[in-house]
Amino acid sequence: MKFQSKYFAAIMAAASLFVSCSNDDDSKPVDGTTGDAELFFDNGVAGDALVLGTSYTNSNSESLTINRLNYIISNITFIKEDGTEFQYPKDENYFIISAQNGEQTIHLHEIPAGDYKKVRFGIGVDQERFLQGETAQQSFWDLATQYDLTWTWSTGYKFILFEGTFTAPGVDGEKVFQVHQGSNTSTDNYREVTLNLPTTARVRQGDEPSIHLKTDVNVLLDGDTKIKLKDNLNPAGTSSAIMGGQNLIDIANNSLKMFTVDHVHNGAGGEHDED
Amino acid sequence: MGQAVSTMKINTLSMRKFILFIAALPWILFSCSKEDNDYTFVDKRMNFVVPLNFPVPAQDVTLNYPTEKGFELGLKLFYDGRLSADGTISCSFCHEQGYAFTHHGHDFSHGINDQIGIRNAPAVQNLAFLNEYFYDGASNSMEMLSIVPIHNPVEMAETMEGITAKLKKDAAYVKLYKEAFEDGQISTGNTLKALGQFMTMMISANSRYDKYVRKEPGGSMSAQELQGMAVFQDKCASCHKTDLFTDSAFRNNGLPPNPNLDDKGREVVTGFPADRYKFKVPSLRNVALTAPYMHDGRFGSLESVLNFYTSGVKNSETLDPLLSQNGVLGLTLSQDEKEAVIAFLKTLTDDEYIKNPLFYYKT
Repeated sequence: MKFQSKYFAAIMAAASLFVSCSNDDDSKPVDGTTGDAELFFDNGVAGDALVLGTSYTNSNSESLTINRLNYIISNITFIKEDGTEFQYPKDENYFIISAQNGEQTIHLHEIPAGDYKKVRFGIGVDQERFLQGETAQQSFWDLATQYDLTWTWSTGYKFILFEGTFTAPGVDGEKVFQVHQGSNTSTDNYREVTLNLPTTARVRQGDEPSIHLKTDVNVLLDGDTKIKLKDNLNPAGTSSAIMGGQNLIDIANNSLKMFTVDHVHNGAGGEHDED
Repeated sequence: MGQAVSTMKINTLSMRKFILFIAALPWILFSCSKEDNDYTFVDKRMNFVVPLNFPVPAQDVTLNYPTEKGFELGLKLFYDGRLSADGTISCSFCHEQGYAFTHHGHDFSHGINDQIGIRNAPAVQNLAFLNEYFYDGASNSMEMLSIVPIHNPVEMAETMEGITAKLKKDAAYVKLYKEAFEDGQISTGNTLKALGQFMTMMISANSRYDKYVRKEPGGSMSAQELQGMAVFQDKCASCHKTDLFTDSAFRNNGLPPNPNLDDKGREVVTGFPADRYKFKVPSLRNVALTAPYMHDGRFGSLESVLNFYTSGVKNSETLDPLLSQNGVLGLTLSQDEKEAVIAFLKTLTDDEYIKNPLFYYKT
């Protein structure tokens, strides 16, 4: 009996594979219907998986042990081949990805059925929305506070919280680093990226394409512009706090290369588990 | 209702509705007996009026337009010490109405446990017309700015979550939040919005000077005051612009940094060395009431302020070019001109504002 139920389950699994495969066919989207989609952010460091507490050496010869990584993804928009766009409703279009809490997936609902070739999203909170205040932000402040993604000595959101310790040549011992990326009343450091999807994301009723992104946090300091933590040590030489000035503009520009789409799973069974 | 149903043409749909209604009755009765649900959103808008001699508001007041109940809640919050960690420091502690909402006689703002900040409490007035707040521009949103003093460890040292938790235990606040907001929730967003609504209405525009420029009764100016106004427009108004008396820019006015504080001003927010020692140009409305002066409250009188501008301006890399013209540091003002300027500045005092019962919380 036990054996039989296992056998039955195997048959069902095999059948579901066929169902999944059939969803990969060029079935036409039905007008007026909607489907779900998800964005899965696989956090990494220059090709390695990000494991908090692990040390990574970058091209600045600095070794970073990353202890915390949280960031805000917003204004997600899906783009079809003909350029038509679907922006997810702005009131619900602010999300937090937390390596610290193992939260890596954004689930989106009621997206018009269609074949999407690109996805665009923002890193952080745009000024327009910030100035619209808490109503428009749907109490995002309270949520962001739980992830330490708010500033309180000035008002605004940390778009990226990237913290840990580092060692560098010529620096005695291990020092703390804190990168708090965000906008201030002087510079708008919100950026958007538009990414090609290597496989068309087919949004259909009952299906949930999963867009698997790779996040490379190494580019924040070791991207087009190199930022040495050593050069940003405080006068006491105890820690490097990067929270303002030109560094944030450089990090904003570096973050344009922080995300790539690795692959897309179509069909109903493409969901990633949180890990 | 029962009668209305009996006269209706009975079909399955209306019958179903009737059954639903009957089924819902106990719940409705039960709800009514609960105190929480006695209060509902009161949508009575206040009248936000832009004074005739003011520029257009810098903030979009339509996003959080004041209602009577939202304002009332904001007023109550402004005067409530529970917004601080130990219940002792309200907003009004450092922003007293009688002194145009400044901390009279204190150079630095005070906080919980007798702690002292590093800056002088600025006047709270006409905020809807400004695009940035605090001496360093730490906020550009009237709705969000309250976050800064609430969280500052040497001021109120609280958190928005902490405030929400405390206020939820108070029946008077439960009622007011329900009347002030459609969602009725005691939440971070609604607390900030209520304070924002209160501050939106805090307009000072009825000084003798205002009445003079608007040609209203009571708008007479003496010969000395008019002389002072002319000097002011010539020497001061390039920074203290418009009838807001500020251009909202960040400038280094040549004040020697206090070596014990070395407050870098705008640079603290932007991180740009070019912003070092720059502070926001303050409005001069009600300035006769807001002593002491400067971001660190170092000058006790307007005379000392003008003496500084004529003989105390210190050169540095970021000194404002307007205070270093033709090789001369600071302003050139005769004693007679200084006295006239001070006489003029006193015409900016708005008694109606500092005595307006609308902004006073009656305990």
